[in-house]
Amino acid sequence: MNSATRERLFGFHHAFDHPVTLAVTIGLAAILLVVPLVLFVLARLGRIEGAQRQELWRRYYSWLVMVPLLLGPILAGAAWTILGIGVLSLFCYREYARATGLFREKLISLVVVIGIVAVTLTVLDHWYGLFVALTPYTVGLIACAALLRDEPQGYIQRVALGILGFVLFGSCFGHLAYLANDASYRPCLVLVLVSVELNDVFAFLSGKTLGKRKLAPKTSPNKTLGGALGALVLTTLLVAGLGHYVFQGTALARPEHLFVLGVLISLVGQFGDLMLSAIKRDLGIKDMGMTIPGHGGLLDRFDSIILVSPLVFHYINYFVGVGLGQTPRIFSGG
Amino acid sequence: MDKWKLEPAHDLGLPLGKRLRSLQRESGLISTGFHLAWWTLVRGYLAAWHRLRIVGREHLPARPPFVLVGNHASHLDALVLASPLPWRLRDHVFPIAAGDVFFETPLATTFAAGLLNALPMWRKKCGPHDLHVLRERLVEEPAVYILFPEGGRSRDGKMMPFKPGLGMMVAGTSVPVIPCYLDGCFEALRPNERFPRPRKLTVHIGPPLRFDNAPNTRQGWTQITAEIEAAVKSLAPSEDKPVVS
Repeated sequence: MNSATRERLFGFHHAFDHPVTLAVTIGLAAILLVVPLVLFVLARLGRIEGAQRQELWRRYYSWLVMVPLLLGPILAGAAWTILGIGVLSLFCYREYARATGLFREKLISLVVVIGIVAVTLTVLDHWYGLFVALTPYTVGLIACAALLRDEPQGYIQRVALGILGFVLFGSCFGHLAYLANDASYRPCLVLVLVSVELNDVFAFLSGKTLGKRKLAPKTSPNKTLGGALGALVLTTLLVAGLGHYVFQGTALARPEHLFVLGVLISLVGQFGDLMLSAIKRDLGIKDMGMTIPGHGGLLDRFDSIILVSPLVFHYINYFVGVGLGQTPRIFSGG
Repeated sequence: MDKWKLEPAHDLGLPLGKRLRSLQRESGLISTGFHLAWWTLVRGYLAAWHRLRIVGREHLPARPPFVLVGNHASHLDALVLASPLPWRLRDHVFPIAAGDVFFETPLATTFAAGLLNALPMWRKKCGPHDLHVLRERLVEEPAVYILFPEGGRSRDGKMMPFKPGLGMMVAGTSVPVIPCYLDGCFEALRPNERFPRPRKLTVHIGPPLRFDNAPNTRQGWTQITAEIEAAVKSLAPSEDKPVVS
């Protein structure tokens, strides 16, 4: 392992080299400091009461824990980022498996978990060839493992649930982790995470103010067309603005490319949100779990990022390239 | 086209403490790993320290649901009764354990739920609802229960009368009840002792009893319980005279 690789994986001395990383960190810290004051004042003025106040505080506490958990590994080094995303994938898969009932299929579940771990280690190794191969390999392994019980009844359902689980939490999240193999991964990941999370907030706020027509009342009754469009505009502006600094000096820095990136993140992020709503409706449950107080399960919070990850990865890879100049196959050699 | 059968975990959305105590608890990949490790250790221990012998293994049904019922003289009993069962049933075998002993503190609960895969029976407040939940799960999962109907460990090695809760669980169902007699457990681990002595243990497994036509009434329950009690007693080796301490 050469010094550049070690620096990328474990070096936190350059955490704030990029102005976007620094600005976003300061911004988030400021928000987390100001929000309790605002809540306190609002409560004093009698603008929020009882249950609503408790709910807002619960959400605030959740963010107070989540922001350091998300930002910390990114600042600390690429290795922590990749391993952190791996752990997140495993927890998300656990929620999914328990909600769909796939957890009763122990062998398929084991194959999916092995697949997610393999993806995480391959990303850490910076071995793109194996990373690409792992998706079809794991899909094939799930299809084979499901045969061992010699019980064709329900075979399609078992295999399909397993493959969906691996593709969403192994493959898609794996693309997010793979972004950490780039030399300047910090601003890039910060851009993706902040824009996807704010996309949800924008949709909620603009839905409250100008939302009338329902977007998909059967799938998710609270979402409105106004909210979706508001989020589309605001997120695109945010991505284009931040992206201008993040991708400075690359082929992606042109306004039209950044504009398309923003539209893609916002649209696909909202589709990810709807996807989870559809899954929950289909299962007849309200929340995927109760890991995060005020939010529900982990998946209720990270649903939007799942589909965005591979999209952003390949978009950046097409224009800029991911991990160029970085040593490939750090641990496996070759 | 038929709808898919998607069935979320029955203990979905419960906080951890409640989940571990829930009668609807289901095992995931991690618990299965713990169960396998635990039962490997227990089997090794019983074979090495107690030279466990199993008589009448052919009476065990090939597939669940069924209930293993035995006399209760020591904390070893549930481990001994579970050991003749095949590995593939491991996640579906539930010793029914006293809630006030095994599910009172977090540490005990973690042990009982995480390793033993036990389900709690609250002796003082066990209502018909809990028994109903257990009865439904037995048939639907299908599961294997390990049950000691005396309602507690014998303090002198003599069998105590069976309680009728067992009858409520199986009356009018096709679930077979397998009577078993555990020989040597009292001598191996007395109620007031902490460490088991290396005494020989034997499990005598009797032919299954069925109660398809038994009425699900108080009278039916008593009748079933009496029949099972007699069956367990008859399995005791004739020369076996429980030692009074």
